[in-house]
Amino acid sequence: MSGDPSESRGNGKNTATVSFVASVKLTVLCLFFIGLTILIGAWCPQESQVGREKVFEAFGEQAAPVLIQLGASDIFHTPWFLFLIAMLTLNMVACSFQRVFPKIRSLKTPMPVLSGREIRRLPFNKSLVLPADRTVSATMDTIAASLSKRGFKVDRREDRLVAEYGKVGRLAATITHIGLLTLLGGVTITSWTGFSGFAPVRLGDSMSFAGSEHSKLWIGHLPEWKVRVLGTRRENYPTGEPKQWYSDLAVLDEKGKVLKTGQISVNNPLSYDGVDIYQASWGLAGVEIAFNGVKKELSLEPMGNRYASFLPLDPDSVLIFSVMDQTSPLRLFAKRTEWDAPKRLAEIKPGQSVDLGGVKLSFERVVPLTGLQYKSDPGIPVVYGAFAFIIVGVLLAMIPYRHVWAQAEIGKTDSGKNESGLKNQDATILYIGGRSQKARVGFERMLQSMLGRDFPEGREVEHEKGGEQLIGAAAGEPNDV
Amino acid sequence: MSDVQIALTNTAGLSSVMSFWVFVAANGFSGLRGKLNSIGGWTMVVGFAALTIAIILRGVEAARFPLSNLYESLLWFAWAIMGGYIWINRAYGLGQLGWLSSMVAATMFLYGSWLPSNQHEITPLVPALVSYWRQIHVPPLIVSYAVFFLSGLCGLLQLWAAGRRQTVYSSVATIAACVAAIVLGTFSKVSVLWLQLLFVGGSALGMVISWLILKHVDEGRVNVERAGIYDDVSYRCVAIGFPLLTIGIITGGLWANHAWGSYWSWDPKESMALVTWLSYAAYIHLRIHRELSAEKLSLVAVVGLILTLLTYLGFNTLGFGGLHSYGQFK
Repeated sequence: MSGDPSESRGNGKNTATVSFVASVKLTVLCLFFIGLTILIGAWCPQESQVGREKVFEAFGEQAAPVLIQLGASDIFHTPWFLFLIAMLTLNMVACSFQRVFPKIRSLKTPMPVLSGREIRRLPFNKSLVLPADRTVSATMDTIAASLSKRGFKVDRREDRLVAEYGKVGRLAATITHIGLLTLLGGVTITSWTGFSGFAPVRLGDSMSFAGSEHSKLWIGHLPEWKVRVLGTRRENYPTGEPKQWYSDLAVLDEKGKVLKTGQISVNNPLSYDGVDIYQASWGLAGVEIAFNGVKKELSLEPMGNRYASFLPLDPDSVLIFSVMDQTSPLRLFAKRTEWDAPKRLAEIKPGQSVDLGGVKLSFERVVPLTGLQYKSDPGIPVVYGAFAFIIVGVLLAMIPYRHVWAQAEIGKTDSGKNESGLKNQDATILYIGGRSQKARVGFERMLQSMLGRDFPEGREVEHEKGGEQLIGAAAGEPNDV
Repeated sequence: MSDVQIALTNTAGLSSVMSFWVFVAANGFSGLRGKLNSIGGWTMVVGFAALTIAIILRGVEAARFPLSNLYESLLWFAWAIMGGYIWINRAYGLGQLGWLSSMVAATMFLYGSWLPSNQHEITPLVPALVSYWRQIHVPPLIVSYAVFFLSGLCGLLQLWAAGRRQTVYSSVATIAACVAAIVLGTFSKVSVLWLQLLFVGGSALGMVISWLILKHVDEGRVNVERAGIYDDVSYRCVAIGFPLLTIGIITGGLWANHAWGSYWSWDPKESMALVTWLSYAAYIHLRIHRELSAEKLSLVAVVGLILTLLTYLGFNTLGFGGLHSYGQFK
């Protein structure tokens, strides 16, 4: 996606060879429309994530059907979005191979040597009359030493000097593009072979992968083994807020043989055979009670920090069972339609009983439920590799690529008087100049200060103003990001 | 929150307000400009140092990395804006950027102080945030947002120095509308659909108008040298912010994959961060391509600022929801 600067500087040859498919113009257009599409997707609730009812909840009965019809509520699966991604991919591939990757070769290309006249066309340039007592060699040595001290790689010759800084930064676009293409490869592998799913599993129950989700074009396979929940619990802060959820899992083969065990918690999954199992949510599924020894399980519903179950006794009365966690006592309430609020009848500890007018109610246990998210993503190593490339690429882009040229030539002093007091005399003139695409001002100030320190006696030769900018190709194209 | 921490945070807030007025005064007294700019810069340094210690103390007090809710992120944002300006000022000495960045920092302190007290208090983390990934993922993002703000502010200054005053007025009005939407979204019960319209519609309209009037130049007020410096600093900020945003998005993906097995889920906030990333990717490509003038690039940087504002504060205050609701408090 990164462009060659020479293309836009009126270099007709390059412009002709760069197709529209590989152009920066297409890149920017794709980025704009993809950005706009994602913005709509971020604004409108996506059915695939939160369900269609959320769209109606957000936009009402009139606007929601229109948005659904337009595809805004599932925008990341619309042909429009896929078309944009395809165009950007095409553009990136074409641009990478046509213009970005070939730049690796330029790392080996030595910097061109510029004459004094060419140096004068650089964005920053100075022409200094060398005092008679200062030799060209000593001058170049001084400049070379100063630039080396500032991290420049200096190529010092007899009466000229070429220096560059941050050449490795030129690899930024190449490495970033390799990363982006690798990312596409990783995402494709994931799409063709990966699967994922979510299952709420009660304590003691097992989970299989039969209900997994995967793409339509899929060549992967689902595991035969299962996962059993051996234990699960919630850890609270002193305030009662959840701190962490834990589940003890066992991986079992088809015959029930334990293949692996492990504890998971939020942010700490269990991995087996390329499948990662995550602690995604936690809750209480039900409460086991017994009426005069007859066991019954009631389903629990979350009610704030507690869970509750409602057992209707007749049309006007209901028993309410409330529990906070696995170890807390069960609170029993009764509610009749004519009462303003439920009345508390009893509080029963696990394993204990109470007598309710001749009926013995026993609180056996609370059955917890753990929400397990799982996925198999064979493309992950490739995606992680891509992430590494992208990070390295964008970090390299922070390094400014800078050039400095210096050339000593015999020339006219043009205006003013030289040190011998004569006008338009022949003298040794030091032409020094450079360019930096990033941090240009800092670069120019650095050179200015360096010259002021190294040549305090230096007098600048005045030239006529104007003159075209140096063509990028001749200057080594220092405009990479 | 300990008294020392409150005192240090207040010191930082007051420093940002004081430095703002000192920088403003520097514009009124041209004879004292250098001295006042220097005082403003040092006041900012004092505020930055106080805030650094306050954030560290908060972390020590909470026994965790102090970046887990909106209030803490605002402190980090103000810290990054102040630190960013100090760094730019050391290299370039830009007094005009001083009052703008101190104003942004002061606004963040003010906004943070208005938040409910439970935001200021140190509260336990929800299970999803109990991870070492939090300190890897969030700081680069907050710092990148601050650096993008500085880039956008430099863009405004570049437009001003380039004589595009009408464009600056239009852009500032647009940013003000966006800020108003966020403030209303935070502290009022106005329907989020209206606020979303104000933010997104207002910014789209404002930026189109700014683009259209970009050709109006006040020739008598053009300062080519200053415009060049602001353009350079704006690009420098993007060159630093872009890798940070990239790292933030990627580490977010790594955390999400580590925590719930999916490195990308089109969550509104991560989608918006991607939109911001795409906008700066476009900026960089436009910059390389060199078809656009510095003024147009400055306007793109202002658009980036608005998108950053939407990503950072807009999505939590304008009712977009999603997994990144830690910044919400309603």
